[in-house]
Amino acid sequence: MNKDESRPMSADIWVFSEKPALLDELLAGARVLADHIKGAVAAVVSGPVEKTEEAFERGAEKVFWLGEIKPGFMVEDCVPTLAHLAAKEKPYGILIGSTRRGRAVAGRLAARLNLSVITDVIAFMFENGDLQARHMIFGGGAVRVERPVSEMILATVGPGIFNPLPLTPGRKGELQIPDFIEPEWRLTLCERKIKPAPAVNLPAAKKVVCAGRGVAKQEDLALMEELARILGAEVGCTRPLAEGLGWLPRERYIGISGANIKPDLYLGIGVSGQVQHTIGMSEARVVVAINKDGEAPIFDQADYGIVGDLYTIVPALIKALKARK
Amino acid sequence: MADEKFDAIIVGAGMAGNAAAYRLAKEGLQVVVIERGPYPGSKNLSGGVLYGRVLHQLIPEYWKEAPVERFITNEVVTFLTGDASFNIDFKTQDFGKPPFNGFTVLRGKFDRWFAEKAEAAGAMLVPGIRVDKVLIEGGRVVGIAAGDEEIWADVVIAADGANSFLAQEAGLRERIPASQMALGVKELIGLPRQVIEDRFHLTGNEGAAHSIVGCVSGGVTGGGFLYTNLDSLSIGLVMNLDELVQNQLQPPEILEEFMGHPLIAPLVKDGTLLEYGAHLVVEGGIEMMPRLYMDGMLVAGDAAGFSINNGFVVRGMDLAIGSGIAAAETVIEAKSKNDFSAQGLSAYPQKLEASYVMADMHTYAQAAGFLKNRRLYKAYPEMITKLMRQIYRQDAQPKKHLMQELLKSLKDSRISLFDLVKDGYKGGRTL
Amino acid sequence: MNIVVCCKLAPDAADIQVSSDGSISLERAEWIIGGFDLQAIEAGARLAEASGGKLIALSAGPHQINNSKLKKDLLSRGPDELVLVIDDVLVNADTAMTAAVLAQAIRKIGGVDLVLCGEGSTDLYFQQTGLQVGERLGLPTLNAVSKIESRDGKLVVERSLEDEVEILEVPLPAVLSVTTDINQPGLPTLKEILKAGKKPVTEWTLVNLGLDLSFQNQVEVIRTTAPHHAQRKKIMISGAADEAVYALVVYLNKEGLI
Repeated sequence: MNKDESRPMSADIWVFSEKPALLDELLAGARVLADHIKGAVAAVVSGPVEKTEEAFERGAEKVFWLGEIKPGFMVEDCVPTLAHLAAKEKPYGILIGSTRRGRAVAGRLAARLNLSVITDVIAFMFENGDLQARHMIFGGGAVRVERPVSEMILATVGPGIFNPLPLTPGRKGELQIPDFIEPEWRLTLCERKIKPAPAVNLPAAKKVVCAGRGVAKQEDLALMEELARILGAEVGCTRPLAEGLGWLPRERYIGISGANIKPDLYLGIGVSGQVQHTIGMSEARVVVAINKDGEAPIFDQADYGIVGDLYTIVPALIKALKARK
Repeated sequence: MADEKFDAIIVGAGMAGNAAAYRLAKEGLQVVVIERGPYPGSKNLSGGVLYGRVLHQLIPEYWKEAPVERFITNEVVTFLTGDASFNIDFKTQDFGKPPFNGFTVLRGKFDRWFAEKAEAAGAMLVPGIRVDKVLIEGGRVVGIAAGDEEIWADVVIAADGANSFLAQEAGLRERIPASQMALGVKELIGLPRQVIEDRFHLTGNEGAAHSIVGCVSGGVTGGGFLYTNLDSLSIGLVMNLDELVQNQLQPPEILEEFMGHPLIAPLVKDGTLLEYGAHLVVEGGIEMMPRLYMDGMLVAGDAAGFSINNGFVVRGMDLAIGSGIAAAETVIEAKSKNDFSAQGLSAYPQKLEASYVMADMHTYAQAAGFLKNRRLYKAYPEMITKLMRQIYRQDAQPKKHLMQELLKSLKDSRISLFDLVKDGYKGGRTL
Repeated sequence: MNIVVCCKLAPDAADIQVSSDGSISLERAEWIIGGFDLQAIEAGARLAEASGGKLIALSAGPHQINNSKLKKDLLSRGPDELVLVIDDVLVNADTAMTAAVLAQAIRKIGGVDLVLCGEGSTDLYFQQTGLQVGERLGLPTLNAVSKIESRDGKLVVERSLEDEVEILEVPLPAVLSVTTDINQPGLPTLKEILKAGKKPVTEWTLVNLGLDLSFQNQVEVIRTTAPHHAQRKKIMISGAADEAVYALVVYLNKEGLI
């Protein structure tokens, strides 16, 4: 983007997410960055006016209110407005919540502003006054640190990276209502189907029993479920059981493009421990692995390991746990 | 079938397949090579050394561009007991100069290069497709089928390896009994170049090839091998399949035991395990070869049973290349006469007989049988090492002459003089 | 319908090598076609076949993408043609540079009704390319597409978001990024592999595209290292099933988990 000599870049950090909970988390993250560069936090809010109030209460000093989404319009239609605003106000950076819609907004915004996007940032750092961002690449096999060379940083951040600031009820700030710029194209929405709320929220589970490829048949999952029941755990799985075999719904798959969990106990059964999976559970407090292959990589990432046939070990474990009750 | 017909379909992009493809493509014939692995060499494992003079005839100075590992200047035969070894160690500068004698190769790399040469010459390579059957019409092979798809050719060259089923399908051979098959297991152990060169006393790209006989395979007849690659060692065992099954032994465990042997362990010390593989090896020799041709089909390489283990060297690759070239030349001649019947292809066995391929198969026909002599694996290594120990030992006891020591060692190892002479004679005549 | 499908050829991240000092290398990795891209290719092949149109595969990258095995592999999966933009400046290209190059190539190809991209690249998985390419071309652009149907010169697509599914009408030309739910590509057939060698391949450089060679990445890579793993106890419990399980239960109890 062209450097406008007549107008210095502001030290503001903007945040945007169509998901209120994620917006609150981003506000907290933006606060830390803004404090460092002595700037303000601004939220770009689309929705009813209540959302703008909540944004102020969660730490925004400014809110750019795009208004409610009109019928026939979708969240992403705010991109031209947002791009125009960013080109005019020149924030230091914009953090966008990493959902599918969020990625679409970030990507299209980047293209309009001739910027790149640093996606799924897991941490921001300041080094020699320069902002840097860290994220995973190579399917979880590596961590990369990048920094924007451009004037503005555009980044997406997923849930669970920042903790929302406590509410300061009644807190107010500067509200701006930018002119809505009509998008060059709009899509016709034929139908919207709400997906039923997922039966499970794996990231919130304290204990997880994870089934891997070692489980031979779908019927055998009953064994995992019984173990989970006794432990008070949720059942998760590796990608092949969800996406390939379809034995379990997508929400139960733990890994690089699935759920990211931080339970107290992770029990991997017949899980080999490929990095694309373990990246999703590596922060569990205690990791237990049961696999008949002693060379399986999971054992390097486990606190306790048993090399054995899960069809013998799991029933024995169920029996032992039942006996304690 | 409206689709084009090929001059030849070659099944298997290994040594025989690539050699045939290259030769045929160079001659301008339309040839397609179908390989079941994702890339040529992915399904191959070699327990031998590439004795490459035949390849030099096909692709002059191939070593300048092919991904070969080391040229072998040091050939060693080791007799091994529990705690001692006796080596026949031969080194020569001669093998260190073009055209060289033998090269160690890694099949994943080498076969890919070889297939690329064939492609560059005009052959078509189809990886990742498994041929399910040969198409036979009126008693004649006219093409192959892979799943629902069929392709047609004047000749099919079956170069699909030791587990070949095409030759069986076409009625050219019976199922090979387990007693004629061996199982080769191999590990690739990574070591820095300098360490290999220091441990094996090599300079530059020189290499060593070790053939190991004796206490290697948990009581199963077989032998071990160890070859130096540029920055890895190929180490493995070839064991009789029948005996393995009968004794209910697990090959990976036997291999681990072998590698832990006090005389082998230092050679692989601090190495990283890069690969483990197992592959069937045909050991039947000339007795177990299938019929090599019929109307519309030729069999080459391991599929035809071309492999020789004479105790000193293990050969399969050079025989495969030789037979692949012979097959190609047969097809070229058949094409000029437009006769792909068995009659038209009958030049194949003639070419093989005239070349080293069959000549050597005949020469070493008894080698496999001789190498099953159990004395080779226990009694002789023990006898030799005991003898050498007696010769070298200084224990303040009176020493005896060689002859006496020899007779004593024979007696201690329960080998009769008669056996020794008989075995020596037989060994000399078969190996 | 003439369709361009963008694919990334990159080192297989599964072959990553980590050294003891935490540095990583993909030097020995095989270059592959991204798995998510294979799904986009399959989607393009089906749509092209149904509409009687042409499918062109497009890839941009450093000299390593000029690999005959990969080119043949790409062409054996349905595309009629392959266009490669080869320039070593593209190694470590950021999302903006990648999108700028691909958009320009698509303009040069011309007459394109639909551009398809996979969910993300096989190695970086930033999930940005299709979105940025579409916006740079000024075309309707959408991600998370899990189903595409052609109806009267328009497309009706299913867009699969976290909590909802939208059914949208998309006018052509457009750029769509598809999800992993879109299809299950099969293996190339013998005939497809045989035909692949004969299909046209066009190679362009950035100069051919008329791009200003002085343009650089907007984001700079500072370092790439192995992830830090929590130190695990790695206690291996051996013994018969009952004994092992008993020991495990004792440990779990000590950890305050049961």
